[in-house]
Amino acid sequence: MIVSKSGGLIYNREFHTGLSKLTSNDYLILAGSFHGMHAITSQLSPAPRIPHITPQNNMLAPSPFPNRPTGIEVMESSHFRLQCFQTQTGTKFLLVTEPQQPNVDTMIKKVYELYADFVMKNPFYTVEMPIRCEKFDRGLDGFIKVRG
Amino acid sequence: MVLYSFYIFDRHTECIYSRRWTPRPTSSSGASTASKSTRPTSSASLTSTTTANNNDATSAPHKGLSHADDEKLIFGLVFSLRNMVTKLGGSDDTFLSYRTGEYKLHYYETPTRMKFVMLTDTKVPNLRQYLYQIWANLYVEYVVKNPLAPMEHPGGVGVSNELFERGLEAFLGAVLPA
Repeated sequence: MIVSKSGGLIYNREFHTGLSKLTSNDYLILAGSFHGMHAITSQLSPAPRIPHITPQNNMLAPSPFPNRPTGIEVMESSHFRLQCFQTQTGTKFLLVTEPQQPNVDTMIKKVYELYADFVMKNPFYTVEMPIRCEKFDRGLDGFIKVRG
Repeated sequence: MVLYSFYIFDRHTECIYSRRWTPRPTSSSGASTASKSTRPTSSASLTSTTTANNNDATSAPHKGLSHADDEKLIFGLVFSLRNMVTKLGGSDDTFLSYRTGEYKLHYYETPTRMKFVMLTDTKVPNLRQYLYQIWANLYVEYVVKNPLAPMEHPGGVGVSNELFERGLEAFLGAVLPA
């Protein structure tokens, strides 16, 4: 699932039918509510922020992105695991896997790469709109097949 | 391993017990925080608003939100996450925990819909077992079996008794080495 920065579902794809069947409307609702919960979790952070100043960082120009608290990264339930990756621009990538699936982190980064290559560089794609892009679909298919 | 806070919600969406351990004192806030962290403050939502305010002033983890607001937010969050999990995974699926870059939230729900929530740092394995034990060994023993405690606990009445508090402290001290 890919959720745009305003909380709309822009891409949704099922690979294995392990989870219960949901209508596309249900997915839209889920994406929207997840967007809200993500915002709340980043507000709730009980720990004081630790500034990430390391010797290497000092050499570089200050990052244009403030050190914001992150929202949900991983959510676990007894049947599945939901990994969330938020890009700097606020787009969220959600990946639902089995609880024991390894390397979900790298998988989600790879999906982001595919997204950057085939969706963002597509001149006919308008941002914040549902993704209809054959190459992205095929790229995902190939990537998942290699993995699974 | 750092414990941030612990909450119990009853089935009427009310927070009946909450307890916070002040985070490690930072260099900016002085001796007042340090003395506080040695003796964790606890409040059962109704009892003391003053300590809660004090806490806010010294260690304010997020601006503009009181602890009561926090409790409501956490309840709402856990409630909707639970609904989302049952929607995705089927009715026999249960929500266990989530992790952000800063903290991790552990969740346990009893068959009577009481919710036990604990916030810790991110490097902790799942605490569901421990939350279950808190319910079975401490809550049931000291709160449910207490003849003086009311059936329901509006505003946390009857939960924050001395035995429960001390038991909780001892249990957490024993199973979660700091």
